[in-house]
Amino acid sequence: MEMKFSGEFTVDIPKEKVFALLSDPEKFAPLLPAFHSMEMKDAKTAVISARVGIGKISGTASTELVLEKSEAPHHARYTGKGKVMQGAYRMTASFDLEDAGNGALIKWQGETQLVGKILSLAGGGMKGYAEKEINKLISSLQTALSPDSATAPAAAKPEGWFGRILRGLGGESEAPTIGETESPPPSPEEVQRARDESRKRISSVLDTSRRDAKPARKEDDRLIKGKGLFVDDFSPAGLLHMSLVRSPYAHARIVDIDVSRAEALPGVVCTLTGKEVMEMSEPFIQIGAGSPQNITDYALATDKAIYQGDPIVAVVAESIAIAQDAAQLVEVEYEPLEVLTDVEEALKDKVIIHDETGTNATFHGIYEYGDVDKAFEEAAHTVKIDKLFFHRFGSTAIEPNACVATWDQRGEIDLFSNTIMTIPLVFIAPALRINMDSIRLRTYDIGGSFGNKITNYPYLTLACLASKKANGAPVKWIETRAEHMLAGGHGSERAYLDTEVALDGDGVITAIRSRHIDDIGAYPRYEPLGCAIWSQVLPGAYKLRNIKIDFNQAVTNKGPAAPNRGYSRLPHIWFMERVIDICGHELGIPPDEMRLKNYIEAFPYETPNGCVYDSGDFPAMLAKAKELIGWDEWKKKQQEAREEGRLIGIGIGTTLDSGTNNWGQARYVNPDAPFSGNSTAATVKLDLDGMVVVSLGTFPQGQGHETTAAQTVAEVLGVSPDLIRVKTGFDSLNDSHTAQSGTYASQFAVTGLSAAHGAAVKLKAEMTKLACFALDAGEEDLEFGVGDMGPQVSVKGADRAVNYWMLANLINSNSAALPEELRDLSLNARHVYMPPFQIPDVEKKIGNLTLTYALQLHISVVEVDPDTFQTKVLDYAIVDDCGKVINPMIVEGQVHGATAHAIGAALVETLPYDADGNAISGSFTDYAPLTISSMPDLKCFNRESPSPFTFNGAKGMGEGGGGPLHSLCAALQDALHGKDIIIETSHNSAMSMFDQFSNGKAKGVNVASR
Amino acid sequence: MSNTMPVEITVNGEARQREVEPRMLLVEFIREELRLTGTHIGCDTSFCGACTVLMDGAAVKSCTLFAVQADGAEIITVEALERDGQLHPIQQAFSDDHGLQCGYCTPGMMLSSLALLAENPTPSAKDIRKALAGNVCRCTGYQNIIKAVQTAAGQLRGA
Repeated sequence: MEMKFSGEFTVDIPKEKVFALLSDPEKFAPLLPAFHSMEMKDAKTAVISARVGIGKISGTASTELVLEKSEAPHHARYTGKGKVMQGAYRMTASFDLEDAGNGALIKWQGETQLVGKILSLAGGGMKGYAEKEINKLISSLQTALSPDSATAPAAAKPEGWFGRILRGLGGESEAPTIGETESPPPSPEEVQRARDESRKRISSVLDTSRRDAKPARKEDDRLIKGKGLFVDDFSPAGLLHMSLVRSPYAHARIVDIDVSRAEALPGVVCTLTGKEVMEMSEPFIQIGAGSPQNITDYALATDKAIYQGDPIVAVVAESIAIAQDAAQLVEVEYEPLEVLTDVEEALKDKVIIHDETGTNATFHGIYEYGDVDKAFEEAAHTVKIDKLFFHRFGSTAIEPNACVATWDQRGEIDLFSNTIMTIPLVFIAPALRINMDSIRLRTYDIGGSFGNKITNYPYLTLACLASKKANGAPVKWIETRAEHMLAGGHGSERAYLDTEVALDGDGVITAIRSRHIDDIGAYPRYEPLGCAIWSQVLPGAYKLRNIKIDFNQAVTNKGPAAPNRGYSRLPHIWFMERVIDICGHELGIPPDEMRLKNYIEAFPYETPNGCVYDSGDFPAMLAKAKELIGWDEWKKKQQEAREEGRLIGIGIGTTLDSGTNNWGQARYVNPDAPFSGNSTAATVKLDLDGMVVVSLGTFPQGQGHETTAAQTVAEVLGVSPDLIRVKTGFDSLNDSHTAQSGTYASQFAVTGLSAAHGAAVKLKAEMTKLACFALDAGEEDLEFGVGDMGPQVSVKGADRAVNYWMLANLINSNSAALPEELRDLSLNARHVYMPPFQIPDVEKKIGNLTLTYALQLHISVVEVDPDTFQTKVLDYAIVDDCGKVINPMIVEGQVHGATAHAIGAALVETLPYDADGNAISGSFTDYAPLTISSMPDLKCFNRESPSPFTFNGAKGMGEGGGGPLHSLCAALQDALHGKDIIIETSHNSAMSMFDQFSNGKAKGVNVASR
Repeated sequence: MSNTMPVEITVNGEARQREVEPRMLLVEFIREELRLTGTHIGCDTSFCGACTVLMDGAAVKSCTLFAVQADGAEIITVEALERDGQLHPIQQAFSDDHGLQCGYCTPGMMLSSLALLAENPTPSAKDIRKALAGNVCRCTGYQNIIKAVQTAAGQLRGA
């Protein structure tokens, strides 16, 4: 926790006298709150003992206070550090003095970093405590500085010095002022005057001159005007609202449910319990073979709650307020059961979460390539790593999961939601016992997803059932943020156990063997696909050929996992990057050299499991990133800092963002899965009025699909993208989808644009045929472009043209003259793009699993406080290569966003559980997603290695591969150099590092060499 | 909870009178009573700032106020930024500098930015970070938001 305070006050004595007091530690220290005793170490250093306490918690703090800077008579700066109550803190305080009449103006700033158990003991009380203590210090100062220090404090009141608090890690900025204390309350007239001035200032900013300009992206126009249509903005007539009763227990039998009081509340329409859901629907399809097939997953819990937040009862009412009131009146009797929060414990099957399966394991498979045993026999060095751990976090899109479902009297469902794939249809339709075509699935604007929303289908199903029970009224369900944090889809955890790495005498890795376990929380849902998907990046960026990973997955009593930006591959790359850095650390090889020895050199490169890395150049990316960050200068600064006892670290992360799945890999988790390849559809039509209209089968959530699809289609037709209309969002009525359509797995630039391109080419061919007829010309004489009549087809070198409306008219309203051979045209072209994939060898787990690999190289520089472990990112460089760039602005935006997510995960964001299965980060305030205060500036560079496998040379990108998780963990390890510390977990907040390292930690790594 | 109270709140220059439940949040008043859906809800602990509007010239989180607390106040929402079909410089800058992706946080971001620019026409990157620390964006990584606010500041100064 880091807190910043600042303020100013005046006193009636000259600044020279003030300075004399403030710059003398012996006089200044006794003014500190709770001062108990002091010993001067030297003229500038006081060792102070103080009694501190918050509520019932108290202890003695020992602080070493150093006068670090003293510039008479205007500036003094102290630093202090010490330990208190199983924690540590570091503070700085500085004073700047100015003349103010006959007295002095004292401007002061203080900063405190605090870490350790004291925080969890004191909880939210810490901030208030710190403020109170600072109050006391300022009061003491004023008393000491008053002309007659025996009398009351000087008349001047401290002003504006209360409460500027910094959250997060960056330390560069502060949150808004939260309030003033001791100033007298302003009079109503003063308030009114301030208000009027404030309104006036805003008016003048609003009344500014404007210019005629259009937005940069097609999407922006509505979004910057507040005219987007997110799910919660959609309110059809007769709308009802659904609120859920969720389990407070992580594992409990449901003994009894009483909804009578809830149903009696005026305005309540109906309730739904698990028992009714069982009658009205089927359990959801399970993807995995074996035990997962026995899991019964309904839209509501039936006999047991198996995680905190498991939905038990749905309440439907005329307003959300009534629904929430009624939910409070539902009485559920639970019988708590033993809770599993540790995945290794879960695998022992002593407690079973899904009774019907008899096991908690949802997958086990061995991925073995090359000759691993031989490589270990021949190894010059073997590095053993006991355990690495990738933590649970989520992308927490700013718009929560949501839907409006209407199951009307015809038996047709209109499902307006923010899901991001057509796959949910495949889950929802059978569960509701209806045809897929009976569901109109549609989206419009979606407020981010990052994969998480793939698993909102149980709630979509529930809203449909609620609508049915409410006689076909539309039912809206908007997840609250608290619900999202418990149940909205977490990224899964992964443990890497008993890892062994074989290296040759030169530091080249020849083999890895390891055992991995994914903890996916309560329900598999989209899992166990993650048990195959990681292997898209099996060797990471490295050329080793011998790999054996024993891969396991199990359920626990935690929130169900969902795909999360970098899904399954990111945790594996993190593992590979840790392996590289740990081996380099143990063998004394610098991290850049270690990478250069091990990087894959030539592309296309076929990995040991048959994946084909399409293009790129890792060494060139590393060289460029080193240049961007100023590697040599930072190395020099690092050395100087180390001599001063400061901890600066520099870390590299090399990562891959694999895009466009071969769904054949689903057969690794279920050999009978009827999936392979990939397919995405789009339609491009020439509409009745001659407008070119594009319908995509994708579910954009901010990636700018309308903009880039318009660019692609416009290029085919030789017109401006402004003349192309791209429909917003997904609508199954557009018929532009396949079962694999969606916005997932970094693929739009390949799948979505290939489909749109293919459809545009087909439409152009039809338009060409029609134009030949209309203009009585040959194909080779035609030219597409824009003329006086708008977009048109003309005859080269002649004054003959037909515009798009005329062409559309020939099919849609003026067809009698058309010759027979043109009567099979529709001007509504649909194209399904299918990348050239083969079905993988399921036995050997060999096959090309993704079409493209975007590459990223990140370098970060951090400084770690040696006592509090607070980390500041000092510098950050990124080199990105996603092949041919379609829209540089959009690509750069994705790079920034992916970087922010992984910085947040590495240093701030985590979803921990206690042993009883209570979610500790149950709100945004606890989770504290990365804010602008904590986000470092990024230095970005783009390389272009066109993919040989796509029509446009582009590669899918956007997930980003989690570069900062890799580079920051590497930088932290580098910063802690000399302490013999190995970074073994992906989450390294100050708190986490303090817990791990403050009392020394046995290093779980050893090396055997021969 | 059928008790209601009368309120008169001026929203985007128009005085709006309603009878509301005392527990109705200002954001609910704006979204549900007035159907101005550009103001969004992203959390329930006043953390995310998606609901930020201007109240009497100050940026406030409209999920943290009851509608009755805004009785007599002047509220500005995102819908007031565009005039006569022309974008406000802050809107143009967010678009030009790609300071938005999904657009859910954008109205709140722009209004917090305007509150800053009304007080400080030449904000440094640090000032911008300070002013927007209560607005969460999950898409952009904030880089282009800082850029957009600086661009808008330049345009407003030149206006």
